[in-house]
Amino acid sequence: MATDRTAAVTWKGSLMEGAGTIHEVGSGAFGPLDVSWASRAEEPNGKTSPEELIAAAHAACFSMALSHGLAQGGTPAEQLDTSATVTFQPGTGITKIALTVRGTVPGLDEAGFVEKAEGAKAGCPVSKALAGVPEITLDAALA
Amino acid sequence: MPRLTREAEITWDGNVARGSGAISAASSGAFTGLGYSGPTRIGNPEGKTSPEELLAAAHGGCFTMSLANELCKAGTPPEHLDVRCVITMDEVEGKGHQIVHSEIRATGVAPGCDEAAFAQAAEAADAGCPLSALLRASATVAVTASLS
Repeated sequence: MATDRTAAVTWKGSLMEGAGTIHEVGSGAFGPLDVSWASRAEEPNGKTSPEELIAAAHAACFSMALSHGLAQGGTPAEQLDTSATVTFQPGTGITKIALTVRGTVPGLDEAGFVEKAEGAKAGCPVSKALAGVPEITLDAALA
Repeated sequence: MPRLTREAEITWDGNVARGSGAISAASSGAFTGLGYSGPTRIGNPEGKTSPEELLAAAHGGCFTMSLANELCKAGTPPEHLDVRCVITMDEVEGKGHQIVHSEIRATGVAPGCDEAAFAQAAEAADAGCPLSALLRASATVAVTASLS
């Protein structure tokens, strides 16, 4: 069964001087969130950006896929701490995503954890959707 | 222009079926501790976000800025744009869950811009939006646009 998720954005004015708002998402979990070109291409100053949302989407998707892989292997995770850092080059786009994960997984050694993390990086739906990003790195280790 | 980075942090406890996680915007602090889980990702969201909803916000946000840029380049800067983005995830036979579609619907007010020019700007915005290009790795992207 297909799953749909929706976001609505408004924008006023030009790209450089104008400003926008991600004013509503289908779940109601967040919003309104302000966005602007300056906060996207320079310092965030408390405002999110498409790249930060991509970082959140990718790290969240990867974490869920890793937890699934670990459970399937008979060593479910107690806790996973993941971060994603998205690098954006204005004019070019997203050039790199760096995933870092630290896990507490009883009964699993470092090599086993790294193998499961590589599998999650390759297989999670957001990884597949972002397969065109030139460089996606993974730093995985037990906590 | 210099490269810049944006970071998000996630914690996850437990397995997919019964575990849950929390998502925070580490660079901006614009959102923190957004809960998510397996059942609310696939089924009724019950007030919880998901990777796909964050993608919808990212793609909608990126496309909107791209459209504002195209309208400015055409000499008809927008007064107001409304953009809705719907991301669809589906189970693809032999490939598991995939992001299969992003549907963008844009309406706007741009003095001096007629319907055809607005549609053309939306097409150029799609071509110039880095996320539109990336998502096409696994998804189709459809854009419809009209003056409001």
